[in-house]
Amino acid sequence: MKTTAQARAPKNARKKLSKLARREELQGYLFILPWLIGLFGITLFPMLFSLYGSFTDYDVTSRMNFIGIDNYARMFADDPLFWKSLYNTLYYVALMVPLTTIGSVLLALMLNEKIAGMRVFRTIYYLPAVLSGVGVYFLWIQLLNPSTGLINTMLGWAGIPGPAWLSDPMWTKPAIIMMKLWSVGGGMLLYLASLQGVPSQLYESAKLDGASAFRRFWHITLPMISPVIFFDVVTSFIGGFQIFQEGYVMTDSGNGGPMGSLLFYNLYMWNQAFGLFNMGYAMAMAWVLFVIVLVLTLINLRMSKRWVYYEGGDD
Amino acid sequence: MKKKRFVYPLALVAVSLLLLLAACTPESRSSSGTPTAATGEEPKVTLDFWTFWGSETRRPIIEKIIDDFNQSQDRIMVKHTYLPFGDIWTKNLASIAAGNPADVIVNDYADVNLRASKNQNTDLSSYLAEDDIESRFYPELWNNVLYEDKAYALPFNTDTRLLYYNKEAFREAGLDPEQPPQTWAELEEYAQKLDKKSENGYEQVGFYPLWGDFGVDSWLINGDGGNGYFDESDQAAINTPGKVATLEWLKSWQDRLGRQTVDAMKADFGSGVSDPFISGKVAMYIQTGTYNTQIEEFGQDLDIGVAPIPEREAGSGHWSSGGGFVVEIPKGAAHPEEAWEFIKYLTDVDAQKYWAMENFDNVANIEAAEDPEANENPVYQASVENLADTKVFQVPLSASGYKDLINPHTDAVFLDKETPEQALEGAEKDVQALMSKNQ
Amino acid sequence: MGRPALSSTGKRKSGEPIDAYNVPVRKRRMKPREVFLFVLLSVGSLLFLLPLWWMISTSLKSPQEIAQYPPTFIPNEFHFENYVHTWQAAPFTLYAFNTLMLAFFAVVGNVLMNSFIAYGFARIAFRGKRFWFSVLLATMMIPGFVTLIPQYVLFSKLHLVGTYYPLIIPQFLGSAFYIFMLRQFYMGIPKELTEAAKIDGANHLYIWARIVIPLSKPALAAIAVFAFNGAWNDFLGPLLYVNDEVLYTLQIGLQSFRGSVQTQWNYLMAGSVIVLLPVIILFFLFQKYFIEGMNLTAGTKG
Repeated sequence: MKTTAQARAPKNARKKLSKLARREELQGYLFILPWLIGLFGITLFPMLFSLYGSFTDYDVTSRMNFIGIDNYARMFADDPLFWKSLYNTLYYVALMVPLTTIGSVLLALMLNEKIAGMRVFRTIYYLPAVLSGVGVYFLWIQLLNPSTGLINTMLGWAGIPGPAWLSDPMWTKPAIIMMKLWSVGGGMLLYLASLQGVPSQLYESAKLDGASAFRRFWHITLPMISPVIFFDVVTSFIGGFQIFQEGYVMTDSGNGGPMGSLLFYNLYMWNQAFGLFNMGYAMAMAWVLFVIVLVLTLINLRMSKRWVYYEGGDD
Repeated sequence: MKKKRFVYPLALVAVSLLLLLAACTPESRSSSGTPTAATGEEPKVTLDFWTFWGSETRRPIIEKIIDDFNQSQDRIMVKHTYLPFGDIWTKNLASIAAGNPADVIVNDYADVNLRASKNQNTDLSSYLAEDDIESRFYPELWNNVLYEDKAYALPFNTDTRLLYYNKEAFREAGLDPEQPPQTWAELEEYAQKLDKKSENGYEQVGFYPLWGDFGVDSWLINGDGGNGYFDESDQAAINTPGKVATLEWLKSWQDRLGRQTVDAMKADFGSGVSDPFISGKVAMYIQTGTYNTQIEEFGQDLDIGVAPIPEREAGSGHWSSGGGFVVEIPKGAAHPEEAWEFIKYLTDVDAQKYWAMENFDNVANIEAAEDPEANENPVYQASVENLADTKVFQVPLSASGYKDLINPHTDAVFLDKETPEQALEGAEKDVQALMSKNQ
Repeated sequence: MGRPALSSTGKRKSGEPIDAYNVPVRKRRMKPREVFLFVLLSVGSLLFLLPLWWMISTSLKSPQEIAQYPPTFIPNEFHFENYVHTWQAAPFTLYAFNTLMLAFFAVVGNVLMNSFIAYGFARIAFRGKRFWFSVLLATMMIPGFVTLIPQYVLFSKLHLVGTYYPLIIPQFLGSAFYIFMLRQFYMGIPKELTEAAKIDGANHLYIWARIVIPLSKPALAAIAVFAFNGAWNDFLGPLLYVNDEVLYTLQIGLQSFRGSVQTQWNYLMAGSVIVLLPVIILFFLFQKYFIEGMNLTAGTKG
């Protein structure tokens, strides 16, 4: 790192500045050093190993022979479950990301008000995000019960006959998305933290200029929290593609629900890796997912230039 | 105040690093699975034994067995480690890969051959050559631990499925509580007599074949002369007349009750908290032998009977399905010979009998299973007798993962998206494609 | 199911909450709009509280009552002894101590190190920054399953399996998720605030510790809550890397109520409530950082 910085320095015309730039470079690397140690120490090897493994018939315990792109070829040409799991996951992500993002921004806006009992409200709305484990899934199985569950009971009040959520392949994924919406507290927390960073002077001057509440939201709040929205969207995409437990726990068969409608990508990958020990194949699946997420993130990154506003400058 | 703020993080790091050293150092020494030399005495070998039996009922039972073993000799010391069900095998795989596995682990009966082919468990044939204990076990279970004619595990326990029926409900419906249904036709006849309908839907359903612990797979065995998805030459035999007829029959139950009723009721009790049979929502119910312990705990007032699974027609066989767990020595375990001593003990009469009596669980050791003392319990006795009709199948290696291909097709039948013929034809085609790919 | 109701109403009113930014904190009568919001939030709260209530209610029931159909919403009899029983069923005091220790390291490590690293990515110009940042994002995109085994083998080769090190060390080496998150926050801090200090000759360490950290308290508080929650609920990590039951954590202990045959729901839920309590308390306490907010003028004066 040091050498590249030095090698570049002489090119710089003004010597004084180059010294400063070099100091800056050094400090930059000093700051990210802990992460670099982690990267080279514990993250990179498993990642590269899995990349190599994706070109082998690796089964963890007995073999690791190079087989070229066989895993990838098989996946695309010869594995209906791969496509099914990819479809299920894309469906889920496409609905879940926008809904949870909008949901958590709105919730954060409401919880950013200063009215009585706000501390308690915030704790309550964050609660579902803390709850984890089988208890939650079990509760939702009850809530989603087609005849006695709370959700269909409430739909019934509105005169809507509720579907058989977890046993009808058409409704299994919407059911899971609904469950995710209920735990938007984590995202809400982020936006809440970010809303605190919006200088109140901006609102005051906008108000003096006679801007409406909506205009103030659109032209001040939204740009100011846009870096966090960007973060939330990118990580929701990444996280959404990793959905696993729900398809595993919330269905009878435990293996992807009625007609495989909850066979998510990672669940299928898990079955390949730890059920059938086709680890090489699972690793290939992981890298295909990697490319998909990467492309989506890059698109996101491109588009972010248009709508993400960095007060501190983007360099 | 500002200065303090600057110092604070650094102090925290320092404190945490100190704590870190304090926290980790002693443990790293004590938790190695290698032999520990008892001071002054001859070296004792410590075995790590991983099970998923950590509940308040199971743990004392397995630990008593381990204690007995530890007392019985002074060469080997077994240490029990509980790991949650399911995750235990993830850890097993990782530790085999890293070369530091447990010495003995409880594993699923179904994939012994798959694990053997992947080099995950230890070939026991050299020990068996000196110490032939094959005759201890039910032959069906023994066949299951073989891979290329060598044993890679010892069967520990098994299970079988029986028809539980509510005698009180039988009496109310005018049925003889001592005459449970023998055939599918009788089953249907009884079930309809036992149905209790009110304007709000069913108060009691006589029987629905897919509630309880006997799924489509099991029914296909029952209705197809005891044959599984693969024939003796390991070819897929999914689209057979017997299986098509069975699937049609299963579908007819749903058609009669209505899919909505079935879905709604199943969602009410499928989750495990409120049991349909114990709460009287269902009059006949297929479950394993150990289900009886639940009845004893939650339904003391119930007057119940058990019977073999009804057969398709007189003489076609009361086939049931089974499963269970094996004990095996992970590949690369440090002390295979001592581990062998221990698994031999675990599957011997004493340990097996104790396990059977405490859990009312079917054990793999014939002598222990048929011990008169354990068989004083009528349900347990019925389950032991039922083992003769119970099928346990080894899946051909090339078909590993076949269930993910069959299930969507059978699901489709119950959603009216495929006919039974279409479903089984499609399933067979998919599984054959998988097998030819894997060969 | 609380969400759709909230968002539909929220959408109509989406512009309005902003008004409150100008409202002074001092006590006064609530405006009609605030009353409406209060009612809305209260109704939503009931729905959001449902799971907790269900957990508590189940935890106080007898096994017989749990098996009852239809399920009772309020227990007929309150079995408070379930909690005592749960705590004694396994060495939970020990597990709680273990978990607390792991959570402590997770909070300290994540709050400090991620903020440090994120500052580098957000506020220092250096060659290769874009490249390293892309790598950072990339590390998030590989599903953990496939790196689980090689990572385990790696720690095993380092002779660290069987200790807490594999669980603690990574907490001090930055997490891509938190680094990315804090970078987004730091990039939102106006340049003028740090530029002045820079001109005065302050180095980045000083700016980070004296200006950026105080300014990002809400974000750091969020990370503290996330990190605590993550370590507190981590299950697979301790399970894989610890070999001795003496080092088990609460989440592993809870699993012992889940049998392969039968689950003791009342104990499982009692345990879950106990395990949940510290997280709720922590969140409630840490909230002051969200409530206080960061008035930027105050920040620059400091």
